Amino acid sequence: MSAMRVDTKVVMLGKESVGKTSLVERYVHHRFLVGPYQNTIGAAFVAKPIQVGEKVITLGIWDTAGSERYEAMSRIYYRGARAAIVCYDLTDSSSFQRARFWVKELQNCEEHCKIYLCGTKNDLVQADRSLRQIDFHDAQDFAEEIGAQHYETSSKTGNNVDELFQKVAEDYNDSAFQCMADEAAVDLGQKKDSYFYTCCHNN
Amino acid sequence: MSQRTERRGIHVDQSELLCKKGCGYYGNAAWQGLCSKCWREEYQRARQKQIQEDWALAEKLQREEEVAYASSQGPQSQSQSQSQSQPQPLAQSTPPHGHASLAPFSKFEEKKTNEKMRKVTTVKKFFSPSTRMAPKKESQEGKTPSPSISRQTSMETDRVSKDFLEFLKNLQRPGREIHKQCRAFIESMANKKDLGADELSECVQDFYQNLSDRLMSHFKGSSESVERVMDQVEKYIMTRLYKSVFCPETTDDEKKDLATQHRIRALHWVTIEMLCVSMDEEIPEVSDNVVKAITDVIEMDSKRVPRDKLACITQCSKHIFTAIKITKNEPASADDFLPALIYIVLKANPPRLQSNIQYITRFCNPSRLMTGEDGYYFTNLCCAVAFIEKLDGQSLNLSTEEFERYMSGQASPRRPTDDGSWPLEVDGSASSSTTTAAVNPVLAQLHHNLELLSSLNIRQDRLAEAAQGLQAELASWEEGVQREVQDILERYPLEIRPPPESAIDTENAESDRLPPPLTPQVFAG
Ligand SMILES: Nc1nc2c(ncn2[C@@H]2O[C@H](COP(=O)(O)OP(=O)(O)O)[C@@H](O)[C@H]2O)c(=O)[nH]1
Ligand SMILES: [Mg+2]
Repeated sequence: MSAMRVDTKVVMLGKESVGKTSLVERYVHHRFLVGPYQNTIGAAFVAKPIQVGEKVITLGIWDTAGSERYEAMSRIYYRGARAAIVCYDLTDSSSFQRARFWVKELQNCEEHCKIYLCGTKNDLVQADRSLRQIDFHDAQDFAEEIGAQHYETSSKTGNNVDELFQKVAEDYNDSAFQCMADEAAVDLGQKKDSYFYTCCHNN
Repeated sequence: MSQRTERRGIHVDQSELLCKKGCGYYGNAAWQGLCSKCWREEYQRARQKQIQEDWALAEKLQREEEVAYASSQGPQSQSQSQSQSQPQPLAQSTPPHGHASLAPFSKFEEKKTNEKMRKVTTVKKFFSPSTRMAPKKESQEGKTPSPSISRQTSMETDRVSKDFLEFLKNLQRPGREIHKQCRAFIESMANKKDLGADELSECVQDFYQNLSDRLMSHFKGSSESVERVMDQVEKYIMTRLYKSVFCPETTDDEKKDLATQHRIRALHWVTIEMLCVSMDEEIPEVSDNVVKAITDVIEMDSKRVPRDKLACITQCSKHIFTAIKITKNEPASADDFLPALIYIVLKANPPRLQSNIQYITRFCNPSRLMTGEDGYYFTNLCCAVAFIEKLDGQSLNLSTEEFERYMSGQASPRRPTDDGSWPLEVDGSASSSTTTAAVNPVLAQLHHNLELLSSLNIRQDRLAEAAQGLQAELASWEEGVQREVQDILERYPLEIRPPPESAIDTENAESDRLPPPLTPQVFAG
């Protein structure tokens, strides 16, 4: 049964219909036309190998259920994630508020998780500036404040999508290089205690 | 009266009730006809024999391994090898929890502790060879059902052990080291039966961690090959530890299992439409996959190795994805998957769901659980369970009143409601009778109750019959006794012998002392 080996977990977070699923689909379909996953299984979980220098890093990309009724469960998803892509819709200011909420959650619960702030549907605001509800610089400031990378992407045109995931893989590679998997491994070992289940009761 | 019947019963079965060993005490069916004392002796013997066989097998395999190693390595390995190259006392042949068998690992541990100060306590706790014998030994035995069952289990364990050694043979030097450490670890765990679940988990996770670190650094394994080895290690170790660490008594896992089971049962009325699941069970291929998914998630409970349990969840998930894909004619996304999984869990009501989740969380190799595809599905299962536990009207787009009414069984979603929140309710005519029963739980419950009642009726009749029979038997017994008495009376009739005649006259010693008989005198008139 052993599926593809995965180096690290990247979780997609954000309000419903900000474009998380589209982002993953865009990225994966763009690069791997006949990967073993998307054809058989859909885009809920994708293992995506990425060339980083000499090495190949395989990201396990975890999409989360969009519907609000499952939002309370999201905590269970991001446990142990080394990276989270927190999405907001450039044309929807409420989605940015939601993104702030996710960032706070991550900072509280997963201190080792690197955050990538991602404004989606860039194509829409480029076609019509008046649609933009989140100023680039406001988001940039917020990103700096929380020590996150900031991207504006379009799943429709593919703009900045590859760059975003490439950066995630590179950052992982760097951090893995620094602490030699040892630290990462200790982390996993220590957090394991009734991991999933305890968290279900807390939220 | 009652005394008589009792005596009759005992009279018939007397010999069978006694201990089969003939010690004179009464035996018990639960102890295979032995008395408690003989049973314990017998049982201990079987156990001892089994343990010896296990050891013998392990020893034999290790010897084979050593031979294979020697022939493959040749003398040049001497320079590199430390204590391992000599066939030293085997972990299995020395009594468990001996210092010697743990030595190589402890040494390596020292090094590790220096590296990671934070882990000092747990590592120490784990590796200091415990001298206190498990005081629970007696009760542990009491828990095991019977020697024959544990023998069966041990056969499976043996098979896993053989596979494991077969696998390790190809690894040569690291293989021997791995085997040794696994054996030592399992032995050390035998003394830790009374630890809490979290501590047990910590022990196992530490072991995985240390072993894979060691494989990485000392044997320069690639991460793929290390992962492959660790999978086998997990299989070997957890097959052996399963019984003592699955749903341990120190936790409330079992209570949670029951609570979840009841909760799911109480939610029987939840329909596929309420959960917005995109699976159309009218399509045969879809319902086929739904059935398979249900079977998979139920089957999880029968596996012993965490990774095998995970594989069941993954299988289940793939069937769900297929079902969605057929329904929607496009690949499923996370939005479709989670609701569908919730639906499957509700339909399956898998046995010991919480225990299984906890067991996987505690004892699965964390890298698999945290990052990979299996981990994704497992996480979704955890979400599904969390959702089911917290589920309320809002999460099904129902009003609180409606939800309460369904929960209390006062109303059924099948009945058209005022707000008509489920459009599919109307065309119920199309669905088959089985789906009607499934969707209309009140009716199903009714049928169920009726069935129960009628079976109760039958049983009552049977009871009355039996009572009558007993009465008749009693009556005939009484008759029988009377007849017997009669027979005996007839066979030995009461003869009242007349006393010897003229006894007074013949043997009357004192007759001479009597006055002479009166003689009649005639008076002339
Ligand atoms: N124009 C445009 N539409 C987008 C983009 N990303 C997502 N969408 C649309 O936004 C809607 C929600 O997207 P989805 O990926 O399902 O959001 P999710 O709920 O976060 O997974 C869909 O109708 C998408 O077509 C984008 O980059 N550009
Ligand atoms: Mg989505």
